[in-house]
Amino acid sequence: MFDEMLTEQSDEVRAPYRTLMSWLGEQDLKKLSKESALAEELFRGVGITFNVYGDKDGEERLIPFDLIPRILALNEWRRLEKGIIQRVAAINAFLKDVYNGQEIIKAGVIPADLIYKNRAFLPQMCNFIPPGDVYTHVLGVDIVRTGVNEFFVLEDNARVPSGVSYMLENRSTMRHMFPELFTTHNIKSISGYPKDLFNSLSSCAPNDISDPNIVVLTPGIFNSAYYEHSFLADEMGVELVQGSDLEICDGRVMIRTTAGTEIVDVIYRRIDDEFLDPMSFDPDSLLGTPGLFDAYRNGAVILANAPGTGIADDKAIYSYIPDIIKFYTGEKALLDNIPTWRCAEAKNLRYVLDHLNELVVKEVHGSGGYGMLIGPAASKRELAAFAKKLKTNPGKYVAQPTLALSTVPVLTKSGLSPRHVDLRPFVLVSPDGIKVTPGGLTRVALKKGSLVVNSSQGGGTKDTWVLGK
Amino acid sequence: MLGRHGNNLFWMARYLERSENTARRIQAVLNHALSREDGGREEWAAILVNGGFKTTFDKKFENNSPTNVINFLLRDRDNLNSVMSLMSAARQNGRSVRTCLTREVWLSLNESWIACETVLKRPVNIHDLPTILDGIKKGSSLFRGALYGTMLHNDIFNFLCLGTYIERVDNTIRTIDEKYHRLLPTAKVIGGNEDQGQWEVMLRSLAAWRSFNWLKKGRLDPSGVADFLIFDERMPRSINFCYRQLKSNLDNLSNIYGRVYESSKIASEIVDGLNNNRSKNIHKINLKDFIGDHIAKNHELSLKVAIDFNLN
Repeated sequence: MFDEMLTEQSDEVRAPYRTLMSWLGEQDLKKLSKESALAEELFRGVGITFNVYGDKDGEERLIPFDLIPRILALNEWRRLEKGIIQRVAAINAFLKDVYNGQEIIKAGVIPADLIYKNRAFLPQMCNFIPPGDVYTHVLGVDIVRTGVNEFFVLEDNARVPSGVSYMLENRSTMRHMFPELFTTHNIKSISGYPKDLFNSLSSCAPNDISDPNIVVLTPGIFNSAYYEHSFLADEMGVELVQGSDLEICDGRVMIRTTAGTEIVDVIYRRIDDEFLDPMSFDPDSLLGTPGLFDAYRNGAVILANAPGTGIADDKAIYSYIPDIIKFYTGEKALLDNIPTWRCAEAKNLRYVLDHLNELVVKEVHGSGGYGMLIGPAASKRELAAFAKKLKTNPGKYVAQPTLALSTVPVLTKSGLSPRHVDLRPFVLVSPDGIKVTPGGLTRVALKKGSLVVNSSQGGGTKDTWVLGK
Repeated sequence: MLGRHGNNLFWMARYLERSENTARRIQAVLNHALSREDGGREEWAAILVNGGFKTTFDKKFENNSPTNVINFLLRDRDNLNSVMSLMSAARQNGRSVRTCLTREVWLSLNESWIACETVLKRPVNIHDLPTILDGIKKGSSLFRGALYGTMLHNDIFNFLCLGTYIERVDNTIRTIDEKYHRLLPTAKVIGGNEDQGQWEVMLRSLAAWRSFNWLKKGRLDPSGVADFLIFDERMPRSINFCYRQLKSNLDNLSNIYGRVYESSKIASEIVDGLNNNRSKNIHKINLKDFIGDHIAKNHELSLKVAIDFNLN
């Protein structure tokens, strides 16, 4: 098991953590652990809360925040950054291709059925290219680590990735609580993210408008990520709208304001494809705006991200990403995928069933850590039940080996203790290029030994530092 | 600004003002009750009638003991106008317009709400009441301070002020309406000490007890109280003060948006009407009609504001 702070011998502190460790040595850890309460108060005061779907009390909860930062050295980060940029460029090229020429299918790299029969594939997007060829204006790449130089991409989030407000709030909380650490460390700044997002969205505006009207579209205050929606609108200085605030007039998208109506040029939408427009997608949706998709296809407005990007982050497509990178860039993927067995294929299904107690099995369309099986942690009965589900509907599942995720210490009542982590760096794509904010959101499984980092299942977060020279 | 956001701002301000007014009213009655042998039963009952709470209250409680009334007014979730319900509604509106508020304004609102959730979690007894009421008022002051000190004084600010003053003047008008008979010139002769106690409750619940005494050197008479609560343009809860603020905020919006609004005209008419009446002898005004008229006018103004600015 790889710990990011201590070397295998467990007595030596790895270089990026040395200054932090000597600071920790001077602290009273008991007192520090009590100060976590202060962090919690800060988060609750600001209202950085999320709602858990299906929780009948509808109570707002905090994502636990751990005070010990996760630290990456500059060379480690540079490697990740390069790999992410390559991957994201390929994903955008892939999206343009599957919705237009379908060269990758013609070349036999990806089976046609996997695209056309995939419910993440949106036929409404065919024969249309968004301005600047940008499909995923915002993207989050989930990365896990298993050794000094071993990084793997766990999944891509190409639809409406969330978590960036936690990355930013975690940083400002750390600065508030431990300003002294920022004088002894040279930490890459992330505070430019909202400005970068604004500029990135602006540069995608239709018809070369130099000063576009950008809005953030939210499903509303009961959405689990509402805080983030309001945070980003606030930080960018743009309106936070709901579907009902928008209307289509003469092909243009308008918002109703206190002074009349205004034209909207760019919509950073934080609602899923199917809820965007009841005329083009889910007719029962009350969240959307009738006619929005037509306005989009006619070039009156930008939707960021483009509809239909789910075909690129689908768990069945995931296993093809190395081939996708090779196909569009001619290069070998710089970041590895986790080996994945597609259960739809009979040979794979047999292997998966034979090794179920060693594997993690996920639903192709699942998210949030729901509906998955962690073989080594499952009981015999759970394994049997899951095997049955697999046999009935193998196409619904993919399997991966259980990785020994790296650990980073967290602060517990009895001192420091290692916990498993992952990392979600955030990527902005515009016609001017691809930009990755240094670090990202570190999610940590707070339960000892647990590998599930999702906030809906007891995960927490940490501030993530990339050290400069 | 979105019309929906204008609406959220307007109502957020109204709910906050209403919760503060409720706290002040309870405090005034408590103060009155503690100095009386009968425990001020009549005053506790009067809050229920005046606020239109009677039906909801009677469904839940057998008697209007002070403890029942206090808990109903402060923390009852079935009472949409309890302080807790109002704070939750204000916060919910605030969350919807998070992008219109500075961090400090939002923090003060959210922290007040958290504080209310904490202290009003369990039934309140009279021992804790003064501390709780002070807490509510303090939260209100903090919010107002953050509002004036950190927000741009633009249309967002104007909508917040419109909500505040429409709610505030409504409260003042209704407070006078409830006790108008005690403000008639003849009241002094009829009532004596009983009336004095009532005037004190009225002034205290409008945060005007000290300023009234200071200005009038302690001369407490019904016409003086009526004149002060209706016309005094220095007193932040007088009818005249509130309408001047409403007019000025509506004028600002006209300037910002470059249009003349119906609501702006109505506010001007009300202010002019007040000036006309003021020049008369207060004894010549038919208080009952005057107050009834203003309840209607205020309601009309509130509706017009919503129409004029797409508040939906």
